[in-house]
Amino acid sequence: MSPSSESDKPIIEFKGVSKTYPSGTHALEDVNIRIKRGEFAFVVGSSGAGKSTFMKLIMREEKANTGTIIVNGFDLTKMRRRKVPMLRRTMGVVFQDFRLIPKMNVFDNVAFAMHVLGTNANGRQIRKEVSNALAKVGLGDKARSMPNELSGGEQQRVGLARALVNSPDLIIADEPTGNVDPNMSYEIVSLLTEINKRGTTVLMVTHDHSLVRDFKHRVIMLDSGRIVADNAGGDEE
Amino acid sequence: MKARSFRYLTGEGIKSAWANRLMSLASVGVLVACMVIIGLFILLYQNASRALGAVEKQNVVLAYMKDYTWALYGGEVEKAAEGGDENGILPDSYVIHNEDEALEYCKEIEKLDNVESVEYISPQDALERETQNMKDRGMYVDSILGEEYGNPYSGAAKVTMKGMDDFADTVEAIKKMDATDSVEAQSDLADSLFFIKRGLTTGAIWIFVILLIISFVVVSNTIRITMYSRKLEISIMKAVGATDAFVRIPFVIEGIFIGLLSAVISEGLLYFCYRVATETLLKKWPKVSIVSYADMALILFGIFVAIGLFAGVICSFFMIRKYLRREGSEFSAI
Repeated sequence: MSPSSESDKPIIEFKGVSKTYPSGTHALEDVNIRIKRGEFAFVVGSSGAGKSTFMKLIMREEKANTGTIIVNGFDLTKMRRRKVPMLRRTMGVVFQDFRLIPKMNVFDNVAFAMHVLGTNANGRQIRKEVSNALAKVGLGDKARSMPNELSGGEQQRVGLARALVNSPDLIIADEPTGNVDPNMSYEIVSLLTEINKRGTTVLMVTHDHSLVRDFKHRVIMLDSGRIVADNAGGDEE
Repeated sequence: MKARSFRYLTGEGIKSAWANRLMSLASVGVLVACMVIIGLFILLYQNASRALGAVEKQNVVLAYMKDYTWALYGGEVEKAAEGGDENGILPDSYVIHNEDEALEYCKEIEKLDNVESVEYISPQDALERETQNMKDRGMYVDSILGEEYGNPYSGAAKVTMKGMDDFADTVEAIKKMDATDSVEAQSDLADSLFFIKRGLTTGAIWIFVILLIISFVVVSNTIRITMYSRKLEISIMKAVGATDAFVRIPFVIEGIFIGLLSAVISEGLLYFCYRVATETLLKKWPKVSIVSYADMALILFGIFVAIGLFAGVICSFFMIRKYLRREGSEFSAI
């Protein structure tokens, strides 16, 4: 297989995916989608549209009832539970509520994502990677600050640095601008766009239409568990 | 696992136990109480076994015979009995007339299941032994053991039992024999000790099980609280791809830490309690034979460590497993 055909392979592919919870809620119905490597896609939709389920299926926190999901080469429908950590090591997650550990400073919060993988990285490597990640999000000078000393936007940038520190192929951002002011929201999405330009695929859930309008990226719209709009390649489906 | 990761996780486990020190303390307290009670039962059981062993060493009974020699004791035998012998003694009053019959009687006793050996003590032997014994103690023997009175001792069978379990039944069987006049045995003491030992065994098993369940519930609850207090960290760990084993290890280490700390405290506390109790006992009864704590210290510590590790590891393992499978969400809001 040639390198070009490898890069053309989608990093995320849903084929006829449906998800119904044991309570009977139909969260997703017959979803078909392909997200290519290096793409930046917004996932939009009202509450209950199926956005969270869509993200949970990508992270393999939930399993689809029918259909096939391929993420970064892993077939999630056949994947055993013990293999899930391997999938997640290929992605970085940014949460709406930042999820910084209050008792750890900025540096340790980012380093935590490296420590818990039990990798070979030694102290010097961890320091180097964490410093790089913090520099990428513009927080090189805040390494010793505690989370409660930072603004909401800065906290979210720490969360972004933590998602980046293990050099993932894919960033999953669940409403990363939900808890920050509009100016900071632009900064966060600008940062994600910068990261995307360096080759990392970004999938971001958002409610903020102005961001979707101003940043010209792919938009996947969900409604009642179905994809109702997708401007893949610039054309709205 | 890399040594660096192990150090990191061990540190996290101990930090976690310290961060939730009140609950950890409660767990240690309950575990210590359980271990000390279990230890006390073990020591009581050992002491009862020792006492029973001492009695078992004396598991000898004396079966006195309906002996003609004894019937003649006193020198004044009524000759009035019709149908009696030259001394006027009725044939039914005695069974053993000579040594052959006495040895036959001993053989009959030896056939009983629980009997290990039987030694025949002739009336003459008994008289000589007792005379010597009384002389040794400076007692005046002529009044009762004077030759003019004859021999007050009947022949006896010195019976050594195999074990204490059927002690009472064997004594009863000997008593029922025609030639048996009476049996001298420490049945009551043997029975009491046997029942104490059996009661302690049964009680110890039940108490052990109940206390183990209590320990499990308390340690599980501590681990559960720790887990919920660290759910933010767990969600991040899972989201970035930490394995379940990696997530679990700090909690297991916390459980082990609580278990080991409890074992050490229990050993010290039990040593102190036992020492005070035995010293008090020995002041009152200096000749009482008591199991030394030093002889049991290692075994008890081993048992405490085993209980501590078992409770710590099993509880933490299952609690975190349950949490990771059913409750821990990586994505949903915490």
